[in-house]
Amino acid sequence: MTGAVAAVEIDGVTKRFGEVVAVDNVDLAIDDGEFFALLGPSGCGKTTTLRMIAGLDLPTEGSLRIFGEEVGMAPPDLRPVNTVFQAYALFPHMTVRQNIEFGLRMRRVKDPELSQRVAEATGMVRLSGMEDRRPDQLSGGQQQRVALARALVNQPKVLLLDEPLGALDLKLRQEMQQELKALQRSVGITFVFVTHDQEEALAMSERIGVMSEGRLLQVGTPREIYERPASRFVADFIGRTNLLDASVEPAGEVRLANGARIEAETSLPAGSEVSVSLRPERARLQPRGTAAAEGSSLDGQVRDITYLGHAVVYEVAVGEMSVEVRVEGETGQPFAPGDDVTISWDHGAAAVVAD
Amino acid sequence: MQPAGRASESTRASGEKAAAQAQRRQGMLLASPGALYLLIFFVAPLALISVYSFATRTSTGRTSLSGWNIESYRAIGDDVILGIIGRSAWLATLTTALCLAVGYPFAYYLATRPRHVRAILLVLVMIPFWTNGLVRVFAIRFLLGSNGPASALSESLGFGTFRILFTPTAVTIGMVYSFLTLMVLPLYVALERMDWSLTEAARDLYASGSRAFWKVTLPLTKSGIVAGSVLVFVPSFGSYVVPDILGGAKTLLIGSYIARQFRDARNYPLGAALSVLLIVAMLVAVALNQRSGSGAEGGDRPRRRRRGRARTEPEPAAVS
Repeated sequence: MTGAVAAVEIDGVTKRFGEVVAVDNVDLAIDDGEFFALLGPSGCGKTTTLRMIAGLDLPTEGSLRIFGEEVGMAPPDLRPVNTVFQAYALFPHMTVRQNIEFGLRMRRVKDPELSQRVAEATGMVRLSGMEDRRPDQLSGGQQQRVALARALVNQPKVLLLDEPLGALDLKLRQEMQQELKALQRSVGITFVFVTHDQEEALAMSERIGVMSEGRLLQVGTPREIYERPASRFVADFIGRTNLLDASVEPAGEVRLANGARIEAETSLPAGSEVSVSLRPERARLQPRGTAAAEGSSLDGQVRDITYLGHAVVYEVAVGEMSVEVRVEGETGQPFAPGDDVTISWDHGAAAVVAD
Repeated sequence: MQPAGRASESTRASGEKAAAQAQRRQGMLLASPGALYLLIFFVAPLALISVYSFATRTSTGRTSLSGWNIESYRAIGDDVILGIIGRSAWLATLTTALCLAVGYPFAYYLATRPRHVRAILLVLVMIPFWTNGLVRVFAIRFLLGSNGPASALSESLGFGTFRILFTPTAVTIGMVYSFLTLMVLPLYVALERMDWSLTEAARDLYASGSRAFWKVTLPLTKSGIVAGSVLVFVPSFGSYVVPDILGGAKTLLIGSYIARQFRDARNYPLGAALSVLLIVAMLVAVALNQRSGSGAEGGDRPRRRRRGRARTEPEPAAVS
């Protein structure tokens, strides 16, 4: 937001498929050189948004600019963007090299530039020596690299990635996350990627746009999204959290449904029905009566314990509510079911979110 | 569980063998009625035809099975017969090309409709195919006749009446009509299986709509094109009913010529030799189809090998 022209600017874009509203009046600006994630559950409109940037779907309403140029209705071949498709969509009747050089050939790039750029892209994704194989002779990770090279070789202004790591197993996915980040830094191209995996979005992107039911709910850095969710949905979707029903009191205090008053900052007017989002790992557990004076606390009783190795998760009954507390690297004494405990957290650790 | 399983491994192995044997026997039992039918009504007549093709036609028009020779095959080299074969091949090629030109866009349209629409359209495609072929060819004859609606339409538009019945054009029209379904169905199957994200990828990589079609869609539906072409070419080449009804004397094709050998000329050996030739040509076409069919998908072969390996792998795992 430095006043420079945005890489992608989506302005009041709506997409309807018949009666279904897939994308509902979305405004979004993605900066030049940014690694941006569109995150949301399946069917939230994130892929449709991506496809509209690519030109594979056309918006029903609104305008879409790429580096200031209106492209909303332009066909995909006339847009300076390339896509890494969900299942890669590699041409099965072509070799790796033919796949990678496809875009350049379509734009009539000739040798020696053609082979030089193909070699560069092939080397960049570490596929040198595999140029003559066909896609079905490659592993999933290698296919993924071909898809990346096939898109990046064209030096697009924006690279779009549709669930790029979804088809890979966990270990490979984590490796590719690092690799994609490094790749984005080295090429300096704006990456827009779509994922339903919140951890992936947090780990990889500089900013995240959370979508649900066609609407863009919140845009922010991973930290902002995680620690200051704008709504109950965002708080619940990103990571684990305790959502405690509450209402805003006149003095800016927040009162939980069980009557307990807690300290929390909110700009919402008094009387608003809200939720307090308390992350399990931000809460502490102490024997009843030993809680520090600072911050907020709730008294409860341990109901259930889940041992995870690196952490222990306590389910604590607080009146009618159930609060999850996650103790990492277990310090202090462990608790047993039935123990009377006090849950406490620092000022600012809980977020108040509108329902 | 595991030690017990290991101990009884040898007995289980022999039991497995017996089960496989029983399964094989059962399979043979299931196949036997069909096999018997084919043996009596397909293999036997075919063998008879092959034998006849080496026989001699006596001066009285009978067929003598003594003294086998290849005279009938030599007779095929005759200019008249070669001309008939050439004309048949040309008309079959033309029919195939026209079926492809008409059938591809149609199959494309069909395959890109929503699922429920597709089902209805497919039935509509099949209806003429299920209708008696003879009736359909007579319908064409009526349509194209000089007193028929096509001619009347042309006259009312000021082009005058036309005479196309009993010409190669009429035969081609009739054959395209008769065999179009055979082209559309394999094309439909190929297009229906098409992964459209591939054409989207091509569009995304700067290919215009038409270039995406030529570079991606067409090569990936090659198997359907080849299969449809063989399915149309083979019956067109040997076609007998259509040229007989629509062609008249000027368009004598190999199918009619063979029929004439058996029916009128009473030259069974020549008819049989021509039939054998037709069958061999057909087998060659099918073999070529098979080969290009597996070549079309390129890396198909290694994949099949891998699949074969994968199939043997789970077995030991299932044992333990």
